Amino acid sequence: MCGIAGILFKHMDIDRDTGKALIDMLDGCQHRGPDSTGFALYGDDHPGEIKMRFYVGTGNEAGDAIGRLREVFAEQGAELVDDERIGSAYRAVVKFSGDLQKFSYAVEHAAKVMSIGESLEIVKDIGTAHDVDDGYDIHHFRGTHGLGHVRLATESDVKPEAGHPFWATGFSDVAIVHNGQITNYWKMRRRLERRGFEFVTDNDSELIAVYLADKMSQGIPLKEALRTSIDDMDGTFSFLVSTKDEIGYAKDHLAAKPMIMFENDDLIAIASEEVSLNRLFPGKALDTREPPPGSYNTWSRST
Amino acid sequence: MVTIDLSQVSVREGNEQIRAAGAEGHDIEVLNPDARHHIGVGLIHPVTVTVRGSAGYFLGGLSDKANFVVERNVGWGLGDNMYNGSVVVGGNAGAIAGVAIRGAEIVVKGNVGSRAGQVMKKGTLLCAGNANFMAGYMMYGGRIIILGDSGERLGEDMSGGEIFLGGPLNSLGSDATLTDAEQAEIDDIRAFLDRYEIPFKGSFQKVVNAGKKLRYGTSETPVRSIPYFTFSGQSDYWNQKVQEDVYIKSQIGRYRVRGYGGARAVPHLTDIAFRKDITAASIGDNPVDDVEMKTLIGGINGAKPLTLTMPVMIAPMSYGALSRSAKQAIAIASGMAGIAENTGEGGMSDAQRDAAKQLIFQMLGGRLGWNIHDMNRADGLEIYISQGAKPGFGGQLMAKKVTKELAEIRGIPAGIDLRSPSRHPDILGADDLVIKIEELREATGYRLPVSVKLGAGRIRDDIKIAVKDGFDFVELDGMQGSTGAGGAEVMEYVGIPTLSAICEAERALASIGRRQDIEIVLMGGIRDGVDAVKGLALGADAIALGTSAIIAGGCIACMQCHVGQCVTGIATQDPEHEKRYKAKVEAQHIYTFLESVRWQIAAITKALGHKDVKQLSRDDLVALTPEAAEITGLPYEPDRRNVDLFQAAG
Repeated sequence: MCGIAGILFKHMDIDRDTGKALIDMLDGCQHRGPDSTGFALYGDDHPGEIKMRFYVGTGNEAGDAIGRLREVFAEQGAELVDDERIGSAYRAVVKFSGDLQKFSYAVEHAAKVMSIGESLEIVKDIGTAHDVDDGYDIHHFRGTHGLGHVRLATESDVKPEAGHPFWATGFSDVAIVHNGQITNYWKMRRRLERRGFEFVTDNDSELIAVYLADKMSQGIPLKEALRTSIDDMDGTFSFLVSTKDEIGYAKDHLAAKPMIMFENDDLIAIASEEVSLNRLFPGKALDTREPPPGSYNTWSRST
Repeated sequence: MVTIDLSQVSVREGNEQIRAAGAEGHDIEVLNPDARHHIGVGLIHPVTVTVRGSAGYFLGGLSDKANFVVERNVGWGLGDNMYNGSVVVGGNAGAIAGVAIRGAEIVVKGNVGSRAGQVMKKGTLLCAGNANFMAGYMMYGGRIIILGDSGERLGEDMSGGEIFLGGPLNSLGSDATLTDAEQAEIDDIRAFLDRYEIPFKGSFQKVVNAGKKLRYGTSETPVRSIPYFTFSGQSDYWNQKVQEDVYIKSQIGRYRVRGYGGARAVPHLTDIAFRKDITAASIGDNPVDDVEMKTLIGGINGAKPLTLTMPVMIAPMSYGALSRSAKQAIAIASGMAGIAENTGEGGMSDAQRDAAKQLIFQMLGGRLGWNIHDMNRADGLEIYISQGAKPGFGGQLMAKKVTKELAEIRGIPAGIDLRSPSRHPDILGADDLVIKIEELREATGYRLPVSVKLGAGRIRDDIKIAVKDGFDFVELDGMQGSTGAGGAEVMEYVGIPTLSAICEAERALASIGRRQDIEIVLMGGIRDGVDAVKGLALGADAIALGTSAIIAGGCIACMQCHVGQCVTGIATQDPEHEKRYKAKVEAQHIYTFLESVRWQIAAITKALGHKDVKQLSRDDLVALTPEAAEITGLPYEPDRRNVDLFQAAG
């Protein structure tokens, strides 16, 4: 129950206002979900370093969680380069070259992981796009692409970690925002769990992220993974996925969840409603397209 | 020409200016629309609105007579429910363009999204580009013209109207078929295209309903029905009723349909009692004078509330299921008692509007009888999501009741077994719902309370959505509620008890700290003032009576409501049967019953030691059975079973 947004600046220019663009787009569709707001942002990356974000809370428990995390970093051979507490989150940059999936399951037992990646950082918390910006300084964020999400909590609680975007637990740099519901969730999840994957939440969006990341880790291109997802997932869904270099979408056969896109030479922007796209171009009528039912596509930033 | 710049004013202010300009006969130009929703909704004057750019959801929705021109694109629900008037869109339209139109001409020069023309009744929807998935879904009448590709499943479950396809046919929907177009029809389409200056020289294929699903194949064998009171509450294994069901199903090969509510014994308000022994309480000569009962419902977000002389309403029942005379009697009685009446599905009749002092107008998925003019003369608007007797199902009105007159009001073909959609075209989640609520408020200037009718299912989730989406109140309906027609098994085994519904709702709202942000009207098997007080004490702000009101007005509970030949003239559309119903006389009976409810509420409230019905609380209650204690969390006090309350309150 929510609104989604995604943007990718096509040219490999890291110095774009991605944070501000996503805030504007989400503010445009905040009516779709006033409970919480989240961003998946792709910034500059440094070889050999990974960025990690955790939900640690704001009280004494935060210090304990950070202490546990630092121990796990040491145990796993990750060298801490930089870290800080921001709002209810803890951000750490480490040098790490081992098995990322194993490492991520290990840190997950120390604190709630929001994202791990070379360039991905997920920021999500209770409140509107502007509230989250106030707490986490999103509008200064610069990068080539990102996703955003506004949420109306229905079946689960209003908690920062229950918000979107979801990171594909165990897979570097893969994030998802999703509007809809996957009705064969448990069946799909058990299938993946039998193969050793762990899930951090009971949210169906995390399942889509892990499903796609698993395919990609087998060398299947994102676009092909999106194609199979439409047949493998039951339910109503429109979702956006992002990796270090790409964004993509998929929409179910029933087309019950809205999605609209605008593309020009400079960028591709996709959102639940055109009103969000128009926030990027005030006063201008856009040549938009509504993706057909059962469709999918991807866009890469040029290198 | 009046110019409105939406970069300077809000949509709400813009719409007020549009309506004001329209009333004075001025054309309107909208600048910087930037795909905002609800532009021009509720406009009922013959003026032209030109939108310089793209518009969002529900452009021109709930309007009549006005003409809209949009230079570029529109979002979902273009021209929603438009009566007369027109829309011309220069670019593309999102999903459900032309949804539920009742006469308008809607022209989209680009492509349309999925389900174009869903539940449309009359008028023309033209798509000059390609259509998408399920164009003409559940359409009841009117004409769709598609010049490009048909999209998949064209005409899915259409029950009336015509689709003319100029481009390639992708696939036909269920119960749709190709037929030959007549020359006169083609000539008329050519003239229409010329009028909107759309060049098209190709030929047309015509798609209509195939007629295989409009009626049930075999009717039930007539049998003398087993009285409700004979089979209800009995063993549900091999009783007389089960045997009869098996026999009938052996003849018709499908589920049975009947009227009335579930009969299976489940925990109910009878399983809780008052904590205090009120048999000996002194209530004086006239407790009604001693207890404050006035109740306002629907005003918490600034709308004009319903003003009830007691915390009681009439539950939604449709003109259609019930006869015009029966609805009139209920309306008169509600006015005499100073409470609110509800239209149910299927529109508002003048007789009902005139008789009811306060009337809630209900909107269902089929948008049957829904329109801006009746919205404007209502005292509250209600979005029906589901009902307690058959959650997840739409209304059922058997062919016998779908008379020409009724079909006209609803905008559907006469003589079909009407199975109303179970879903709204434009409410597929809480996110769409919030935009729909806003449309109703925009169209009526935020004057009216907007409520939601929820059949109890996953109440702890649904009630949170209701409050987060900003409804003013919820009509919460448990499985003991009745219906004019429903699948027998559905009534017995789907839904949750009224007792569970109110308790789950209260707990869910408390868990998010939002109880004060919505009001609850509880219904579903509330029979009298005793039940009413229990419902109020469990947390409801008011209760609603349906079945007991029609029994007071002459219903004999034969459960044959769906057949259409109600001997009392209540649940029929046959003039011969309806003639038996004396609306004024029965109105007096219903009113007298409502006054007995008032007296009981006052007497018990006073006996419990309160001066105001708002003081009733869970502290006044105990549970008589372990099941009721588990459901409600009330203390289990089986000894209280022995108290004869009716004697006490009588």
